[in-house]
Amino acid sequence: MNRATDQPEPNPLREGLSARAVPQPCTIVIFGATGDLTHRKLVPALYNLAADGDLPPAVVIVGFARRPKTDDEFRRDLEEATRKFSRQSVRDEIWKNFAQSIFYHQSEFGEESGYKALAERLDDIDKNHGTRGNRLFYFAVSPDQFEPILKNLKDAGLNQTCEGSWARVIVEKPFGTDLDTARELNRVIRNSFSEEQTYRIDHFLGKETAQNILVLRFANAIFSPLWNTHYVDQVQITAAETLGVENRAGYYEHAGALRDMVQNHLLQLLCLVAMEPPTDLSADSIRDEKVKVVRSLRHWSRSEIAANVVRAQYSKGAINGEPVLGYRQEKNVNPDSQTDTFVALRLFIDNWRWADVPIYMRVGKRLPKSATDISIHFKKAPPVLFNKDLHDLNVLVIRIQPDEGISLRIHAKVPGSSFRIEPVKMDFHYGTSFGKASPEAYERLLLDAMSGDATLFARRDEVEEAWAFIDPIEDAWHAKKDAPELFFYAAGSWGPEAADDLLARNGRAWRRL
Amino acid sequence: MPATAEEYSLGLPVQVSKIDQELKKLWQESEGAMTRASLINLAVYSEEAGSLSKNTQLMANITENHACRAIVIEADCKAQDNRVEAWISAHCHIGSVGSKQVCSEQISFLLKGSCTTLLPSIVFSHLDSDLPFYVWWQDELREPVHPRLWAWVDRLIYDSQRWEDFRAQMRLLESAEQEANQRIVLCDLNWTRLDNIRFALAQFFDHPASHHNLAKINELRIDFAPGFRSTAVLFAGWLAAQLNWNTNKAEAANNFRFINPSGQNINVELRERSGEPISEVAVITADVEFLVAHAKCGDLLEVSRGKPGEQRMPQLMPAGKNDPVSLMSEELMRGGPHHVYLHAVNRVRDLL
Repeated sequence: MNRATDQPEPNPLREGLSARAVPQPCTIVIFGATGDLTHRKLVPALYNLAADGDLPPAVVIVGFARRPKTDDEFRRDLEEATRKFSRQSVRDEIWKNFAQSIFYHQSEFGEESGYKALAERLDDIDKNHGTRGNRLFYFAVSPDQFEPILKNLKDAGLNQTCEGSWARVIVEKPFGTDLDTARELNRVIRNSFSEEQTYRIDHFLGKETAQNILVLRFANAIFSPLWNTHYVDQVQITAAETLGVENRAGYYEHAGALRDMVQNHLLQLLCLVAMEPPTDLSADSIRDEKVKVVRSLRHWSRSEIAANVVRAQYSKGAINGEPVLGYRQEKNVNPDSQTDTFVALRLFIDNWRWADVPIYMRVGKRLPKSATDISIHFKKAPPVLFNKDLHDLNVLVIRIQPDEGISLRIHAKVPGSSFRIEPVKMDFHYGTSFGKASPEAYERLLLDAMSGDATLFARRDEVEEAWAFIDPIEDAWHAKKDAPELFFYAAGSWGPEAADDLLARNGRAWRRL
Repeated sequence: MPATAEEYSLGLPVQVSKIDQELKKLWQESEGAMTRASLINLAVYSEEAGSLSKNTQLMANITENHACRAIVIEADCKAQDNRVEAWISAHCHIGSVGSKQVCSEQISFLLKGSCTTLLPSIVFSHLDSDLPFYVWWQDELREPVHPRLWAWVDRLIYDSQRWEDFRAQMRLLESAEQEANQRIVLCDLNWTRLDNIRFALAQFFDHPASHHNLAKINELRIDFAPGFRSTAVLFAGWLAAQLNWNTNKAEAANNFRFINPSGQNINVELRERSGEPISEVAVITADVEFLVAHAKCGDLLEVSRGKPGEQRMPQLMPAGKNDPVSLMSEELMRGGPHHVYLHAVNRVRDLL
């Protein structure tokens, strides 16, 4: 979105060719190179960028992992994965060319000599491949590995570069498990890399529709006057998935839905919906406004948490007619687990724009369908003329995934001699209007990191403010005394009744998805 | 739906006065999950006999990625009788989400005789309201240009590679632009043809450390296919405009010189070679050669830099395709004004 301050002088030959910041030559070092994320997302995303001509020719990938492997073995593994997971089919000649720039570096994460060897290797790559000393370190590892990696990168001098070059680090979520651990993580990162060098990735922000929220709000004058407490009755954000915990029980048992989804993805979406217009499109202007939203979230007392937050766990049921196990029966899950697989919240943003507008959020596993969307429910028209008996509100829906698009529900007269009024939907589908498939979120985000554009990455204060909001809820849930109840819902339902009650007590209901 | 254009038939013959009713009927009679989509009005104008069928086929492919209301017109200005015939059809494709078919409407017109003067009114009556209006003019422009038409056009698409007299055609376009109060964006497919090569060359100079090479360029070599000299000249014009080179001297049609702001000469050699419209571009300084060449497999470019004659490690980049569907799709993806194109044209207008 913006040109970062360290963006080089513009290349006169680029004028008119591309509206985005230009990615710079670099070496991408992936820690956790033999893991799932590298195979399913990162390398397919880089391949797609190369195939579309968006990657500068001088980009080298170095996989850093513990297992012994040769460059060729690593390339073969990645080729197989890319053929399986890439959004476009792999062309042999492009892969061959792309693969020439992939290398494997075997080392333990805590092994000092491995980093010295890495530094030497990166210098050689700079000389032979024109990567100009630019390094992008991607942490596709669990957070407990961050500290040894960061320390060793610093000791090997890899956090610093010569003048005119840069070193950046991309960190995958979770960014801590609470405020203290997030602060500690940020401290550890800051010991080696400055905030400007740090890119905290939240792949929701790389989605086309998430980026379009700002365009919808700030490129269309019609919504601006309505986007406030005077006209908005409520906002709902839903992130539903049919999947259960799958093979993530080890992580999920400790995280739960609140930490896994609300602290990051859903609050990020809320920020985009609720933020004030930024002064410009620079990364910090946008993030300054986003963090103000999180800071303005009303913090609840223990008793208020019970009234405004519902946690639940799926029990056995059926998805699309297929019977499925309850959470506690899933592999590697504690049979007495108290982990939340569903959360519904009623939030308030205590600022001038959103005072008294309830924000309802729900996120859950094993719900009837997979869908993420945001709906803005407008207040009723005055109860005169046609509106005496109307109950439906005008609703603007932003569909994040799947079937990305925007719809607006309005009222219309049913043809005939009587004044019967029914809701109708004006619907915009990305897939219908724009035939071309959107790039994957990781493609956009990797390109942004290479270009020095941090707009779509979370800043330290955003992360910490989000934890400051989440922590009291988690504390209340884990209190020894008077902890709010853990509800249960049958897999394939829309969550427990308590989640419906959260809205029903104010005469509202969840939007039907 | 009876009138889909999958086999590139013109669809359902209709009376001109009943096109709207017939289109409505077409959708009412459609079966299954179909969605009509339209982001632009795209009028295609040709005077070539048989162009209706050919352009219907092109539209079937273009609408796959660019939903539009297509208005395809074939004009036979020399015909004795005055006649207007019309057809309606729809191009349907499976959308990227689910199995829903996404359809673009097409209205086809065959204009004969002096009825061609009716062009603006025929087009105006059938535009999808509130959507931008693009015109793809496939022939050379003739005076008088329809002033009323230009006032409505948002983007005028043409291919200068087909022009016999570039300067005369450009003058007509500029007068059309004036009629439209400079609102029309001129979109030359001959310029679009250069997109990937420009992109491939530009990336050599992204890093500030390579900028100094731009001031040291002393030679430019462009290989072009027969019939594509204008494409090569436009490429040279682009470099000249962006790097502030002025025309110095034309020794022969395919050998000319620019002079850079420091007074240094840049020798330009255009070489006719069979193959792709632009098969190779070499930008040369005293120390290094930047080379962009078509790879053997056709739709990829090999880009490399190094000292002339030394072993290089080329990288591959997309080359794009030189067919009308690809060029149109590329052009429709862009948007925004084409100032850089106009600057390039102005640098080499006398060489075209």
